[in-house]
Amino acid sequence: MIHISLGSSTRLVFLPRPVARWESGMFKSSSCFIFFWLGVFLFIMEGRGSAVNTPASRPVTRRSKSYGRSCVEAPSYFWQTPGHLAVLKIPNSRGTAKSQTITNKVDPEHIALLVKNEWKLSYITPLHHFRHTRLKSYSKHLSAFIVAEKQQGVAVEVGLEAGFKVTFSAVLGLAETDEDAETVFIQIQSKPVFAAVADAPKVVWRGWLTCVNGDLEYLRSLPPDFVSLPLFCTSGPESLTTLVKSWFERVFDCNFGCLALNSTTLNWLTALWTGCHPTCNIRHLKLAWSLPTQPPLDVSYTVNPQDAWELWNSIHPEESTDDRIDIQEVQSFINGLEAHFFRHFKIFLSAGTLVKVSTALGSAHVDGKIKIGNSDYITTLLTLLTECALLKMPA
Amino acid sequence: MADLSNLAGLGSDPSGEIDSSASSANNRSLRLAEKEKRKGEADPFGLAVKYLSQVEAGTVVRGNDELERNMLVVETVALSKGLPSEVITVLLDLALSLNAGTGNCARVLKFLIPATVVPQEAIVKGVSWLCVGKMPMNAQVLFVRWVLTVFDLIDCKDNLRSIYGFIFSFVTEENLCPFICHLLYLLTMREHVHPYRVRKLLDIQAKMGRQPFLTQLLALYKVFRPDLVTLSLPSRVRTGFKNHNSTWKVALSAVQRKNKGAVLVDQSLSLDVKEKPSTRKRVRCHLCNTVKSLTEHTLNSNKKVFCLQELRSFRELLENIHNIELPAQMGSLLGSALALHYLDCVQDESASLRLNFWLGHSLQEEFLLCPVDGSSDNTSEACRFLSTILFSQQFLQEGFSSTESFLYKFLSVWDGCLLRPQILDLLSDIPLMPSFYMHKLLFEPLKQLYFTSTVFFKVCMVLLFFFLSVCLYQARAWPCVLPRTMTLSGFMDSVMELVRFVGLLASEGLRLENCHVLLLNQTLAFYETVCDMFLKYSLPLIIMPPAGVFYPALFATDSVSVDRLGYIMYRYRKNLTLAKKQEQQREQTFHISRNTYKEFNRNLQAMVNSMWNSWWCIPGSDIEIDKDLISLSKVPEPWCRFDLIHHPALFSYAIEFHQRCWPERKNVDLGSIKTGKYWNWYMEFLFNQGFDGLNNFIQTNTGHSSGLSSQDDRQPTSQP
Repeated sequence: MIHISLGSSTRLVFLPRPVARWESGMFKSSSCFIFFWLGVFLFIMEGRGSAVNTPASRPVTRRSKSYGRSCVEAPSYFWQTPGHLAVLKIPNSRGTAKSQTITNKVDPEHIALLVKNEWKLSYITPLHHFRHTRLKSYSKHLSAFIVAEKQQGVAVEVGLEAGFKVTFSAVLGLAETDEDAETVFIQIQSKPVFAAVADAPKVVWRGWLTCVNGDLEYLRSLPPDFVSLPLFCTSGPESLTTLVKSWFERVFDCNFGCLALNSTTLNWLTALWTGCHPTCNIRHLKLAWSLPTQPPLDVSYTVNPQDAWELWNSIHPEESTDDRIDIQEVQSFINGLEAHFFRHFKIFLSAGTLVKVSTALGSAHVDGKIKIGNSDYITTLLTLLTECALLKMPA
Repeated sequence: MADLSNLAGLGSDPSGEIDSSASSANNRSLRLAEKEKRKGEADPFGLAVKYLSQVEAGTVVRGNDELERNMLVVETVALSKGLPSEVITVLLDLALSLNAGTGNCARVLKFLIPATVVPQEAIVKGVSWLCVGKMPMNAQVLFVRWVLTVFDLIDCKDNLRSIYGFIFSFVTEENLCPFICHLLYLLTMREHVHPYRVRKLLDIQAKMGRQPFLTQLLALYKVFRPDLVTLSLPSRVRTGFKNHNSTWKVALSAVQRKNKGAVLVDQSLSLDVKEKPSTRKRVRCHLCNTVKSLTEHTLNSNKKVFCLQELRSFRELLENIHNIELPAQMGSLLGSALALHYLDCVQDESASLRLNFWLGHSLQEEFLLCPVDGSSDNTSEACRFLSTILFSQQFLQEGFSSTESFLYKFLSVWDGCLLRPQILDLLSDIPLMPSFYMHKLLFEPLKQLYFTSTVFFKVCMVLLFFFLSVCLYQARAWPCVLPRTMTLSGFMDSVMELVRFVGLLASEGLRLENCHVLLLNQTLAFYETVCDMFLKYSLPLIIMPPAGVFYPALFATDSVSVDRLGYIMYRYRKNLTLAKKQEQQREQTFHISRNTYKEFNRNLQAMVNSMWNSWWCIPGSDIEIDKDLISLSKVPEPWCRFDLIHHPALFSYAIEFHQRCWPERKNVDLGSIKTGKYWNWYMEFLFNQGFDGLNNFIQTNTGHSSGLSSQDDRQPTSQP
């Protein structure tokens, strides 16, 4: 996932140190030429074996200030994503997906909003001075901002209904731990210019910020005036997404970036969803690969849910005592699927990249697009995605 | 102008005599003052002004020759010398009251050129005449334009600000609106921005469309109260306000030129709108973005706060440091020295964290997750961005943690060539960390780069240079910048690791590159720092160069390397001597391992033996070679090939010396240099070539003194 533009010729800035030490008086000539041949006397020093002592007399002051946090300190190696330290923090095992009737905790209306759309994922750095109590005023400001941006150069009064109506609302109950901030749902409605008075405004854009089971160490390390809602899902025209993002960036001094899902994440989802089959019919397991051939070869691979589940069950027996799935199990499940494909078509799927996974429970695309099919498994999915988003956090 | 001053007393002084106190205050001689006074009595200007001040309402204007005459007198003076502030008050009142008729109103306004300042009371009175509403529209416009022209010359503006509401009421006048908007723009403070005013302006905007003057005023309102109004300026904004000073420009500048030393009026009152940067690049967009925060404003809108970007000097910062407001986007502060001063001082964790989030994000998005939009032309921009970061870090004398974590990620994918100078500079700001992490995050990727780099020796040099500066930087400040998680011994371990790592790289590099001279010199430069760690940086550490560095330097063919080595060995000795002394004096001190001494002694022995004693083949030393093998090479007298005369680096000097001593000799016999006084002369000759390092080395280690430098650092020497 990393592209580095190569081949740019950069001028080497190199300042050599002066090679000889010219000191004053170097050319001072002496009139005295009476020297003696003294022979060679070597001064050899003996190291004495003594106990290891460090000078205790030196005051070692601890530096109180810092421009950010050091990477190798406590909550730190968390964000060493592509580097070596990522292995320290990326979980090698996670709990099996458990069905929970989320509508007991969360308003079913809210859940219905989350379930039906396809969402584009982004990550956001922690929001500065975000308050869940001020959602109303955020609604007003954002709608004024959108109107102002739409008609460049025309000032817009804040709080006036004009064209766009923005609603911020808190989706209570999705948070799993005390450190998780409550999910915020944003909806933008627009009234067409030539609409009749009676026409209801149309929803043109939806988005939500969430944090489910975020890494406790990371969340606790943030100062209190930050709110971390690392996962941002959007659905609607790109232009509005851009406007919303730039409004957030201006008001809460945060930054957005694309959240692509790597193949490990997709593998996890494949295994987690397949594991749910006995409790909730996943109907199909559809996988899509893209193979780097010329021309590129797209492979769509649909597996009978029962067969997939049996394969998974042979790797991770249902009756196994602990509820945890290991990354090795996930890998061998995927390997099993790939081996089966090879037996029939003589194509190594492992040579390509897994692009999309989809079941009745939901779908996920490598570009960072998801669909939630069944609200009962939403927590598992969001936990995984929150983790991906947090891994993208700089510093 | 002094002779015309104090016309305020005109009304009460029927004789019309002009008080000369001002002129005497002007340090003129008494005689001159007398003369002035006499002149003043007959001064037609004073009389004319007096006449004009007494013109009452209803005066016949048409055919009034007296009025015309006086007007002409004042006009002439005004256009040549400018008018004193009292006269301005009088004339403005005359004009706007329309006592002298509508025609004269415009005429007076046109020659109302101030010599020095304009009293604000005159303007306030003028605005009140405006409120009366008798004036014809063109006179009103002319008056507001005149105010805009002389705005910088108004002595004080607080009363003017207190009638802000009255001035604001004129925005509804269609013809007056552009000028009033400009005036309001100049006067507006945060407390003037109210919802009803915003609404009024928006109404006008709805009526008139997006007029630049309205947009500018609203943009200012938005800056003060983003919670009331929002506005986004198109990327290409027309200049906000036109210049309205055309009528007075020529006369005003002429008068100003004449009265040098007076306040200079700003000829271009029009607002220059800062060109918005292209929005294509996030980085630059952020750097210029200075929108204020919503939340903070509404919280303390009553408090007088200063925006960090508004501060211009360090003095201003000091005066307002208690009520500074941070910008909504901390990224905009990067590269501003004042802001960094402030950040450094307040140590606001969330502020620096915000800066770090932004910085880390930008670096990550720009360099690690490069957008695939094919923007290959962004190298210069990226270069500028990194340079800004470097500037800030160097200013703070500390790296940002986000750049640090970015670099660890970046090193593993870096080709060693993209933006090399900047990346290496950034690397040199990385703080030391426990050696475990240093190995993992720094040494491994760097080693790979080092050995696989195509432009091999360049990278070698720069890498070494980098390590040198890391070491210097760390060592210089180590007691205070000890990372929080590191103990002293951990810190020492890390420094040791670092030096050993560079030693390893250098010896391998020298071997691979056939002892490249430049590389060798960089290596020696590095060791020049290392050898002095104890004395110069008070680091209780002495680490010897590995054999792979020492021997190539000792047998180098260039004299500079040999000289440097001499200097290094000399410094090592000083450090070790002092360390040992301290160890003996105080029970409690650091420990330098026996091996270090051994290593030093071995190196010293090798160096002295080969250069001074001509017995370099010491059994048991690093460079023991089988005698038969050497005899095979058929080199005559192999043992003295590296002494001070025959050393390849010094050979040419020996030849030159020989030629000078015995110019008549045809066959060169270098051996004769060793005899008697010639040897001393040769030493003297050699050290006069600038070989200070060798000089020091030989002095301290052999006791041979060339008599050039002081001898106080000589140690008692002993036989091996």
